[in-house]
Amino acid sequence: MLAPHTPKQNHLLAALPAADYERLLSHLELVPLELGWALYESGSQQGYVYFPTASIVSLLYVMHDGSSAEIAIVGNEGVVGIALFMGGETTPSRAVVQSAGYAFRLKGSLLKGEFERGGPLQYLLLRYTQALITQMAQTAVCNRHHTVEQQLCRWLLLSLDRLPSSELTMTQELIANMLGVRREGVTEAAGKLQAAGLIHYSRGKITVLDRPKLEARVCECYAVVKRESDRLLSRKTAIVDQLS
Amino acid sequence: MRQSNRESAGHVARRASIENSLLAAVPRKEYRRLLAGLEPVTLTFGEVLYEPGETIRHVYFPGASLVSLLTLVDGHLGLEVGLIGREGMVGIPLVLGHNVSSVRALVQGSGTAMRMASAHFRKEFRLSLPLQQELYRYIHTLMAQISQTAACNRFHVVEARLARWLLMTHDRVKSDQFRMTHEFLGHMLGVRRVGVTKAAQALQKRKLISYSRGDIIVLDHRGLEAAACQCYEVVKDMHDGAQAGYAMRKMRISAAA
Repeated sequence: MLAPHTPKQNHLLAALPAADYERLLSHLELVPLELGWALYESGSQQGYVYFPTASIVSLLYVMHDGSSAEIAIVGNEGVVGIALFMGGETTPSRAVVQSAGYAFRLKGSLLKGEFERGGPLQYLLLRYTQALITQMAQTAVCNRHHTVEQQLCRWLLLSLDRLPSSELTMTQELIANMLGVRREGVTEAAGKLQAAGLIHYSRGKITVLDRPKLEARVCECYAVVKRESDRLLSRKTAIVDQLS
Repeated sequence: MRQSNRESAGHVARRASIENSLLAAVPRKEYRRLLAGLEPVTLTFGEVLYEPGETIRHVYFPGASLVSLLTLVDGHLGLEVGLIGREGMVGIPLVLGHNVSSVRALVQGSGTAMRMASAHFRKEFRLSLPLQQELYRYIHTLMAQISQTAACNRFHVVEARLARWLLMTHDRVKSDQFRMTHEFLGHMLGVRRVGVTKAAQALQKRKLISYSRGDIIVLDHRGLEAAACQCYEVVKDMHDGAQAGYAMRKMRISAAA
């Protein structure tokens, strides 16, 4: 039943021309990402970058007092560890697995070398960075102005777009951490969505039952991020732009 | 030998007047070529450089000016997600292969800047490896600033955020006095006007600032630092770190020359 794992399940890797893809292939290593595992701590050096295939990684900004807020999520559309090729010595955020699954990882030094070649991979990574910046800025404004329920809808939809299935493996506590709100707030918002038949929540698994209704409840922030991601990362655009 | 020494002395003197740190960090030869496409401009408070969804026509390297990046929602609510001064460049999407802005870029502090037409910039960017490296590093810093702003907005009260914001502006315009309307501050901090009024009154009551008709004077810098959230220190460290990085790379470049 299970499809075999292939790096092509990650959209950035899938968008690479065959020659570039082949060059990377033998260096890509499949790793399971367990729920709650921290890929990086903030301020740490990065040994690897991760291309998620069937998992969601949350980037969290950690304050001095230890509280943290999610600034973006990364799934099969992207890569975790862009500080590495942007020349930052350490990562400013913490990266935590929010929905368990798999990723392919690549040694940081290798990716840096590939980035410096200036080919299609660099092009794709930079465009992804722009999409990520948009997501971060939109998350900031969404946190400021929108209700927990709207934010939860945004989070679920963005996650669904970044996963191959409609099922998320996660806990309410993690959602609360990530949205930077109290657990009761999340429980209440999730309860409402469940009562309305939009999602089903049971034992750390959230299944989305009615996506159109989620889309009707979500704030505009979801559409802004989606539009930008689609425009920047759709395979067709990438290849057409590259050729022009 | 003597010739080259004289040249590099002149080059240091000339470059000392380059206000923008990114431009100052680019090696001389590259900078000379860039200069042909750079045009000095004066940016004025309230001027909009980009609107979300619009094509970017110019990139800007602020000197004494300050530019805010604002994300807008629901037609009228906004939030400042980044602040760009002499350490950076406005027009980052062009570096990342995109020619449309996703934010509003609003001049928040009047002053000088150098600008370059987008097409020209793209060409220069492709040619100059040092410029690429400086800009990638800068984007990394800017992303850290955006993340930090997101977290600050989530956890800290308006009064502390206003204090931080005033300090950041103060550090960049290097003056104790600047003009700001309540409406403008509301956009920056993502709160209603009445929220800004209350926070400003609280700071005024503690004799940290004086505020009348849009004129803000910082009276007690230390006191304002104590009133600001920890984020002020964090951003200042990032910013100072970036500046120190420029200076170090520049030294390495001159030592190698």
